[in-house]
Amino acid sequence: MQKDETLDAKGLMCPMPIVKLSKKIKEMQIGKVLELISDDVGSKEDVPAWCKRTGNQLLEQKEEGGAFYYYIKKVQ
Amino acid sequence: MAETKKIAIVVSEGTFDKAMMSMMIANTAASMGTEVHVFHTFFGLGLLKKGSRPKLPGMFRLFTGTFIKKMKKIGLEDYQGQLKLAAELGVNIYACSTTMELMGIKKEDMVDGVKVLGAAGFLDLAMDSESTLFIG
Repeated sequence: MQKDETLDAKGLMCPMPIVKLSKKIKEMQIGKVLELISDDVGSKEDVPAWCKRTGNQLLEQKEEGGAFYYYIKKVQ
Repeated sequence: MAETKKIAIVVSEGTFDKAMMSMMIANTAASMGTEVHVFHTFFGLGLLKKGSRPKLPGMFRLFTGTFIKKMKKIGLEDYQGQLKLAAELGVNIYACSTTMELMGIKKEDMVDGVKVLGAAGFLDLAMDSESTLFIG
């Protein structure tokens, strides 16, 4: 998956990955893709919910080596 | 952008758990692009005093420090840190005017940015919100 930036939120628990994700996306340009890495199992529901509510696009999510990877395209 | 949603939160207790829960939910909501209004009344008001350090309820109060240490390990700020984050994220924080009078708390005793509001003013915000949470 093509990515422009990475936010490693491993070790952080809810709601910090979402708070950091929100801040990071604000700094990025529209059309860019952010890779978010989290080991909070709650992020599996939280990240898609955040994308739905903020109107940004979740391109892909996967689980690898005990961490969750999300690829989010900034739309708004 | 999806249409901006609003959420209203009432905080009526001043223990650590209620304090943290209210601010963590408020900060999450703000991060989701929601307009957030948090109204502090009764024991919730004491939380807004400058430098407040709420404790867990009852016998658990003794474990508050341990709890905070554990929270910091997973990236969570203590209550003052949560308030700072809330201010940064644009969360609206309100103090109940009647409780201020009853408890003798002045606006200058409270953290910066707190707005004073009556019940009707809060209800006006709540009625325009998609959801109201009561934390007490």
